[in-house]
Amino acid sequence: MWNRSKLYAAAKILNGALRPRPYLAQVFYPLPPLRRVCSEDSLFHRDSKIFDGSLHHVHLFRIARCTIYSGSPYSTCPGHGDGLVCWKCGEPAPLTGPFLSCVSCRAVQPVDSSVDYFQIFGQERRYELKGENLEGIYKEWQKKLHPDLVHSKSEKEKSYADEQSARVIDAYRTLSEPLSRALYLLQLAGILVDEENTIGDPELLAEMMDVREAIEEASDQKTLKEIQSQIGRKHQEWSKSFKDAFDKRNFDSAIIATQRMRYYERAIEEIVKKL
Amino acid sequence: MLRVGGKRLMGLGFGRQVAAFPFREARGYHERVVDHYNNPRNVGSFDKNDPTVGTGLVGAPACGDVMKLQIKVDDNTGKIVDACFKTFGCGSAIASSSVATEWLKGKQMEEVLVIKNTEIAKHLSLPPVKLHCSMLAEDAIKAAVKDYEVKRDKLGFKKGISTGENVEKDAVDA
Repeated sequence: MWNRSKLYAAAKILNGALRPRPYLAQVFYPLPPLRRVCSEDSLFHRDSKIFDGSLHHVHLFRIARCTIYSGSPYSTCPGHGDGLVCWKCGEPAPLTGPFLSCVSCRAVQPVDSSVDYFQIFGQERRYELKGENLEGIYKEWQKKLHPDLVHSKSEKEKSYADEQSARVIDAYRTLSEPLSRALYLLQLAGILVDEENTIGDPELLAEMMDVREAIEEASDQKTLKEIQSQIGRKHQEWSKSFKDAFDKRNFDSAIIATQRMRYYERAIEEIVKKL
Repeated sequence: MLRVGGKRLMGLGFGRQVAAFPFREARGYHERVVDHYNNPRNVGSFDKNDPTVGTGLVGAPACGDVMKLQIKVDDNTGKIVDACFKTFGCGSAIASSSVATEWLKGKQMEEVLVIKNTEIAKHLSLPPVKLHCSMLAEDAIKAAVKDYEVKRDKLGFKKGISTGENVEKDAVDA
């Protein structure tokens, strides 16, 4: 008897593990499986093995690199929608673009966590965004995915709409801000940014101490604005530094750049509060 | 003046929580944290170049916090006679460093090195999401002690040369 119950328990666990977990996509973005990775940058390239395990936790796996790069607005390869069909009407997924809603019956599709935020916005997986059109694309998606549109539909479709539109919101927020975009890129590259440890870089900390004290002591708008523009410039510098470091796969420097960016952003927040 | 200085230093994002506090909401700041915020203790600065002063400067990259903790040590007894702090961060970070300075006073340097972040967190009833603030305080204590010892070593070396003491060091130099 106990053998059978053990078997049931095991089957249940396995079933639970295998079932897709849409809510996790928002909390912890898992690395995409092989066939979805089609980009010119070899983020998951073999040479990532040169990083020793001491600082980074790099996922090493083969990639199936698409040889055809379509150059379409969605920057995906043809055959991206391989095997995907609409759950409602059975219509196959379009060849280009992320499959978030069906083109023929307009049903919202379940979240596919292998579609990353850059793909949702038709961007390449790079720090610099092409064009300023994030908001436009965001609105376009919400016109198709918003939960308000599925009032009268089934529970299943409602839950898909909830998750899918939440995902698009997350994607929009993450990509809009440089720091979150940078951290997301690092995450996609499999770099674990350890934010729990305290840092002791005396230069940076002394500088931030001075800056924060100056902000506290500043009493007039003019001084505050000066400090703000100074810090803004430094933020730009380090933002560029992140881009350079990341492009060269120098992830240590990239992480340092993100830390600096965060400190400067914090300082700017305080200034804005005071203004 | 210190109080005003302390209040201004403490940053914000706190006002809402303080209002919630009287209702003892589960998510509000603990009364000790609020106490340290309203009645700041030991906020200030010592002269960095004073040989009896050790300065610990640490930061939390996750939230962009900076914490400076300074100790004044009696050279002869190795006892910490005074401590002060300056923290730019959330209420929990400020309270953690404030508590740390209170606990440091009157103790030997070896004693303070065993102060653990969990004790600070327990004293302030910090929620899990704020545990790193207490870790920051613990690291600041260690950094301050280390800084003092490094300073003392450097000065000890100099003293050796001028007064002829510390024979081993002189020998190494020769």
